Amino acid sequence: MKKKKCIAMLLAGGQGSRLGKLTTNIAKPAVSFGGKYRIIDFGLSNCVNSGIDTVGVLVQYKPLVLNRYVGTGESWDMAVSDGGVVILPPFAGETGGEWYLGTADAIYHNIDFIDMYDPEHVLILSGDHIYKMDYNIMLEEHIENNADLTVSVLEVPWEEASRFGIMSTDEEGRITKFSEKPKKPDSNLASMGIYIFKWKALRKALLDDHDNEKSSHDFGNDVIPKLLADKKKLFVYRFRGYWRDVGTVKSYYDSQMDLMDDMEHINVFTKDQKVFSNSNYYAPQFIGPKANVSDSLICNGCTVYGTVKHSILGSGAVIGDGTIVEDSIVLPNAIIGRNCKVKNAIVNEGVIMEDNLDVINEDGEVQVYGRAKLSI
Amino acid sequence: MKTIGLISANYSSTEFGDLLENRSLASLPYGGRYRLIDFALSNMANSGITTVGVIAPYNSGSLVDHIGIGSPWSLGRKSGGLFIMPGSAYGLQSFGSRFLLRDLIKVRAFFERDDADYVIMSDSSDVCNIDFRPIIEQHDKSGCPVTMLYKKVPKGEDYYGYFLDIDEDGKVKHIQEEGFAWANYFADCFIVDREYMIDFINWYETLEYMDVIQIMKDNMDTMDIDTYEFKGYLGKIKNPVDFIKVNQVFCNSERPIFTKAQDEAPVFHYPSSDVRNSLISAGCRIEGRVENSIIFRSVNIGKKAVVKNSVIMMHGEIGDGVVLDHVIADKYVTITGGVKIYGTKDAPVVIGKEKKI
Repeated sequence: MKKKKCIAMLLAGGQGSRLGKLTTNIAKPAVSFGGKYRIIDFGLSNCVNSGIDTVGVLVQYKPLVLNRYVGTGESWDMAVSDGGVVILPPFAGETGGEWYLGTADAIYHNIDFIDMYDPEHVLILSGDHIYKMDYNIMLEEHIENNADLTVSVLEVPWEEASRFGIMSTDEEGRITKFSEKPKKPDSNLASMGIYIFKWKALRKALLDDHDNEKSSHDFGNDVIPKLLADKKKLFVYRFRGYWRDVGTVKSYYDSQMDLMDDMEHINVFTKDQKVFSNSNYYAPQFIGPKANVSDSLICNGCTVYGTVKHSILGSGAVIGDGTIVEDSIVLPNAIIGRNCKVKNAIVNEGVIMEDNLDVINEDGEVQVYGRAKLSI
Repeated sequence: MKTIGLISANYSSTEFGDLLENRSLASLPYGGRYRLIDFALSNMANSGITTVGVIAPYNSGSLVDHIGIGSPWSLGRKSGGLFIMPGSAYGLQSFGSRFLLRDLIKVRAFFERDDADYVIMSDSSDVCNIDFRPIIEQHDKSGCPVTMLYKKVPKGEDYYGYFLDIDEDGKVKHIQEEGFAWANYFADCFIVDREYMIDFINWYETLEYMDVIQIMKDNMDTMDIDTYEFKGYLGKIKNPVDFIKVNQVFCNSERPIFTKAQDEAPVFHYPSSDVRNSLISAGCRIEGRVENSIIFRSVNIGKKAVVKNSVIMMHGEIGDGVVLDHVIADKYVTITGGVKIYGTKDAPVVIGKEKKI
């Protein structure tokens, strides 16, 4: 096995409980996004677009759809012989097994996986962020600084800084202080949950963390503060661009609408930094003789007889005659009957809405309708 | 009842002008995101057939590029899988003939090396969605070495090819060529016992210039041929007029039509867009009006543009204010702002690949 410069570990085990019905039976990274994508597509596509062809995907919460979707990574051009995507669930050992207790614990349990590739650096990612990023630029800075850890940060408005993990730095960008959701922030550089570690440094930190009974085994709460206390070389990498953590139904809705309302900042049509997905056997969309579609993103496999305004229709969605869908997101394979009204709603995957049904959320508050029905 | 498939793609047509200049009929783009051969390949895949041979034409570039190792049709396998085999070349392209004996002689090893009971022989230019399994079952029971698929078509309608005269037991009495107004139209697809096919090739080797169906026709007294009526949609794509019709035969969730994955973004319908009765493929951005048309992937249609009764293939750029009616634009065609092109129902205007107007 040839040695890898950098491999990625993508944390995809979280429940995303604030997404409510969207994650009843699907892990957050596998939740549909922008019609044909799933949230994890952005992280995986960033990897392949940055030349990283080896990714461990750490799963735990309801991984069925996620596992099936990611497969061998072929859809992201990562089915290569000396790398590829490997799904890494919690497992049992000689003395029994346990769930991943935290983000750092999840990586700790997969030290063997990383050692197989013997990489110089390890990129830690979250599977639930929407952004396009070339990790190579960050890696170059990381190498140039000879850093043990580089944390990607985003400048956020000062008034919002207390919602994030905030990095304070010196003039060279070396991290001097890290505070999780500080009441009185002294910096507005928010951690994006994207880390590049020297593997040697991370390996030791994980072993130390595992032995620390007081640790919650989390990168933000435990590993980074410990490295900082040990005077390791920690730097920030300033990312400038579109980045969203789709943690709530509102942010999930807003950032999907950004795909058409804010193309200047997040554009899935451009050929550079292309976002790949695994949803390719649908026929072209059929727009019916009396249909009226405007200001909307419509996917392959959709059939539209009614009216669709400022909405997103996921792959295979059907909109019946006389139905009006407005400011809404219809997830893949949902079927909306005739003469329905849907406004400010997210219609869950595979949901069947009978004729003459109204799902209207006024005052701009968006709600999720129905429980996802899983299908192949 | 192990069955393998053989798809014949070594034929062309003169009816399509520039559209077939550099490609075979099998790799003609169709229906917004497909190539014609996708239907034959998908029918095989949806019927559980895991060994498929394709007899390639001499200009096989676009075909080979499209089907690759066959993974969209689950043919990227260790056991069986896809076999692309060059057909015969003899100076001239073959036009009418689907199953030229000379081609089968060249691929004799495909029949000899497998241990399957039956072979489904299919052409590569029909738009249809067939489940072969009931046909294989019937063939297995019939005891006949050959079962031909046919479709009942209205008498006198413009079909060319072979027509079957069938007796009460469903056996073929005669095969007739075009021009006869028979109602049982041969669907250019038959199932044959593999060993019988090897014998057939050996018996008639000296008639290598002939079509297999022609040989069967001439030797009906020695042939025992069963038939199977296909009741679904059978679209013969014989000229650009057929090509322009919007139909959704491929919208079948039980048996999807597979094709090479391209993975484009969703279609963006701008606030100004107005799309009616059309098929639109992923990655398009539409600002103007589209009616009764088929738009392939990554096509941009500008403001106040009107596209009616037309086919725009992948990566077309239709400028602001352009009017297209009964136009077929090949890949990477650019129509600059304000240009108006009108064809007619019987004579659509064909614009060749990468042309800029």
